[in-house]
Amino acid sequence: MTDQRIDSPTGPVPAGATAAAVATAQTVGGVAPPLPPKRRLGRFIKEQPIGMVALSLIALFVIVAALAPWLAPYDPLAQDRTAIQQAPSAAHLFGTDDLGRDVLSRTMYGARTSLSIGVCTLIIGGLIGVLFGIVSGYFGGSWVDSTIQRFMDALMAVPAIVLLLFIAALLGPSIRNTIIALSILLVPSFNRVARGEMLRIRAETYVEAARAVGCSTPRILMRYGLPNLMAPLFVLASLNFAIVLIAESSLSFLGIGTPPPTPSWGRMLSEGSQFLEIAPWIAFYPGLVLSISVLAFNLLGDALRDFLDPKQRR
Amino acid sequence: MIAYAARRFVYGLLVLLIVTAMVFITLRAIPGDVVRVQLADSPGVTEEQIAQRTAELGLDQPVYSQFFVFMGGALRGDLGTSFQDNASVTAEILHRLPITLELGFLAILLGVLLGLPLGLISAIRKNTLLDQFLRLVSVVGISIPNFWLALLFITYLSLWFQWSPPLVYVGPFEDLSQNLVHMTLPAIALGTAAMASISRMLRSSMLEVMGSNFIRTVRARGASEWNVIFKHAGRNSTIPVFTLLGLQVGAVLGGTVILESIFSIPGMGSLIFESVQFRDYPMVLGCVIFYGGLFIMVNLLVDVAYAAIDPRIRY
Amino acid sequence: MTAPTLNGVEREVTNRPLVEATDLVKHFEVGGGFLSAKRPPVRAVDGVSFTINRGETLGLVGESGSGKSTLGRLVLRLIEATSGSVTFDGQDVLALKNKELIALRSRMQLIFQDPVSSFNPRMTIEQVLTEPMLVHGVGDAASRKARCRELLDLVSLPSTALARYPHQFSGGQAQRIGIARALTTNPDLIVCDEAVSALDVSVQAQVLNLLKDVQKELGLSYLFIAHDLNVVRYMSDRICVMYLGRLAEEGPSDILLNEPLHPYTEALVDAIPSSDTIGRAREPLAGEIPNPSAPPSGCRFHTRCPKRFEPCDHLEPELITVGAGNVSCHLHTEQAALHRHQDPPEHSLHGEDPQEGATA
Repeated sequence: MTDQRIDSPTGPVPAGATAAAVATAQTVGGVAPPLPPKRRLGRFIKEQPIGMVALSLIALFVIVAALAPWLAPYDPLAQDRTAIQQAPSAAHLFGTDDLGRDVLSRTMYGARTSLSIGVCTLIIGGLIGVLFGIVSGYFGGSWVDSTIQRFMDALMAVPAIVLLLFIAALLGPSIRNTIIALSILLVPSFNRVARGEMLRIRAETYVEAARAVGCSTPRILMRYGLPNLMAPLFVLASLNFAIVLIAESSLSFLGIGTPPPTPSWGRMLSEGSQFLEIAPWIAFYPGLVLSISVLAFNLLGDALRDFLDPKQRR
Repeated sequence: MIAYAARRFVYGLLVLLIVTAMVFITLRAIPGDVVRVQLADSPGVTEEQIAQRTAELGLDQPVYSQFFVFMGGALRGDLGTSFQDNASVTAEILHRLPITLELGFLAILLGVLLGLPLGLISAIRKNTLLDQFLRLVSVVGISIPNFWLALLFITYLSLWFQWSPPLVYVGPFEDLSQNLVHMTLPAIALGTAAMASISRMLRSSMLEVMGSNFIRTVRARGASEWNVIFKHAGRNSTIPVFTLLGLQVGAVLGGTVILESIFSIPGMGSLIFESVQFRDYPMVLGCVIFYGGLFIMVNLLVDVAYAAIDPRIRY
Repeated sequence: MTAPTLNGVEREVTNRPLVEATDLVKHFEVGGGFLSAKRPPVRAVDGVSFTINRGETLGLVGESGSGKSTLGRLVLRLIEATSGSVTFDGQDVLALKNKELIALRSRMQLIFQDPVSSFNPRMTIEQVLTEPMLVHGVGDAASRKARCRELLDLVSLPSTALARYPHQFSGGQAQRIGIARALTTNPDLIVCDEAVSALDVSVQAQVLNLLKDVQKELGLSYLFIAHDLNVVRYMSDRICVMYLGRLAEEGPSDILLNEPLHPYTEALVDAIPSSDTIGRAREPLAGEIPNPSAPPSGCRFHTRCPKRFEPCDHLEPELITVGAGNVSCHLHTEQAALHRHQDPPEHSLHGEDPQEGATA
């Protein structure tokens, strides 16, 4: 074969955390024809109770993030000199930090930051990755494919954090630059899954039928490729959201992600890490909420995979 | 087989070349003159000095010729000199690399030693309460950010045992026990995700193999359950785990950056982090090349070893 | 060759055939990547020429692996030929630029073996039928919708089908939709690739009759590819028999099937279960079709031919005209005439003198 990896499910996968996500998403391909949305949701609830719990957690996360200005008990930036490093109490459920800011309110606003960065990143990284992936897959084995894949391999070869550190350091800390860096991180994984799916789809009769009818290549990619490869992309998007949550916090933790004063979980963790012995709650609660959010997206991804994977059906 | 290994090797070199070129060109393309950034803090810098420094670093040349000069040096093992102290980048990285490798090795070792048995038990006791619990542990394991886990360790060890990690790094050849005491916590924090991934992967590939016709035949032949699991299913289901392991090296290497900075371990992770903060571009470039090279090399070895073990691989 | 009669819709009538394929070759490359060994190509189609006249149905038969589906796709340029030429209504199809080719696609269409899988599972039938019109910029939204209803009516499906998805139809219904889609842009040629072989026999007849009716009404030409000789006989004016990438025999349906010249055609005809063959000794073809990347030397059929003789395994027979058709078999070539005298085959020559045919 001109390219060893065309049908090989065991070819190189992106480095680090995204690898597992790709491997998981890849098992979902060539899914049965669509059911009406309502019946699908009904079946999902019935078949994947854990997935439903995860989905509810995510919904809660989204609601809290969206309604943070109304739900948060305090202004996340307001410093209260009379309440510095207070342990969790009725007044401050998650306690206060070294500047007397309410940790609960900051955690809620942090969800807002994480969520918006995550959504933007998924959209940008997903669009670019899927675009390269479907072009690469459609022309699988040709020089177009090989060129794109060598560049993707290069992106995958650098560990995520190192890549992020490099990009973020070049561009300087800002939310926009964090989004750019995280998007680049996600491109190879979306590329890989979309490419694999497109390799399958391009052999489908309906693609040949589309060509016979006179559809142009871009039209085939968009109208015949894209709609038929969405299922594994949903799985991947869910797992990638978990990865973005961790990566964004890592960047902020290292001080090169979201700049202050915007509340962000990673920065709260790094600020709290200075007071672990005297005020552990400053780092504990944001980390706990972060972990639960990541867990929810991972569980949702697994549940979606099981739901969509025909092999898992009993 | 040898042709396959050679082909993978050439591909690996090509990818490493692309990594280097991409990083190099990005570094040169960024807004803001490298020299100005570097000299910005020094008072009373004249335009003349800036021009002189620019020429000294070869930055007045076109990017492609700079790249060729750099590659020429890189092939001889010279990755340039640090902006911070004019030290050799290669020497500094080689000095720090073993520390990161030790941490990474310990983390992977931990991941394998715990992940394999957990995945195996989960697969054998499929759908029992124990399996459900282990699966929960695994999914939690991949969900907990390693740096938060590290902070938890530090917090509770200090609260409960009044123990804090040492602040000064001691090499394994100076004092091995001291060194291991320092390395254990970050290795556990790093290895947790690897352990969880490995156990998840082993469980699913094990279940797939156990459900295959091949295993049904072995069972029908009357092989003992022990033989089925360890001799037949085990061998076949560790192959995807092996691949995953190669990829986990990437995650672990990335993770060292944060954990080294938390535990003040002077490895390559803290080196790149410091260099990024100082905008020490030659050092950053060198580190990225080393990280990329390590990852590519490990996966090359995994692919070739894998092809040697599994006769189904087409060369 | 007689000019075909056109019924129904008036079209520009010329004597020129609609499709002329000359020396078409398609070799599929296998392997041969970076640092890996190159293997010999699969010779799916290896030098085939034929013509299709206006309003005519040309049948194409052969076993699976004979290259007949590849040939159909070469004519439509769905795959690129290795060499040879195809002209469609005077245009050199293989030289067309991408835009011109797309424009030409409105005039040549394809019907598939498995109709359901030939539709995008996420498109409604209305979208499926509208697609060709959208692509070729035909009409406005209202007229396109009207055309969809008209087409469904033509293939006897209710217009309620428009809002449904492909997997909600049976094979026969889906094939009707496939025909409707092929007709959307009023093509001159439809390649039917095993169009009924996946359908139940009772449904087959309906679909075949539909194809015939549509042809009568619109004056279409068909390239009708199938392995079932009965079906091909029912549909075709002329038949080409393919074996291992080459034409074995070509001729008018009746003559070709009643008096086959090539032993391969004869074997295919003998294999048809019909009242004619009852009581006649049948010689089923022995063995499998050989590997197309290493075809046998000489006549490709010689490894399985019951009538092979001296020259067959080293001399490749040319396609020569015999009577109303063409055949490539040493039983009929001049080259082999000499050998035939020495080693006469027990084969009736259908009352025709092959030498006379060969020189004609």
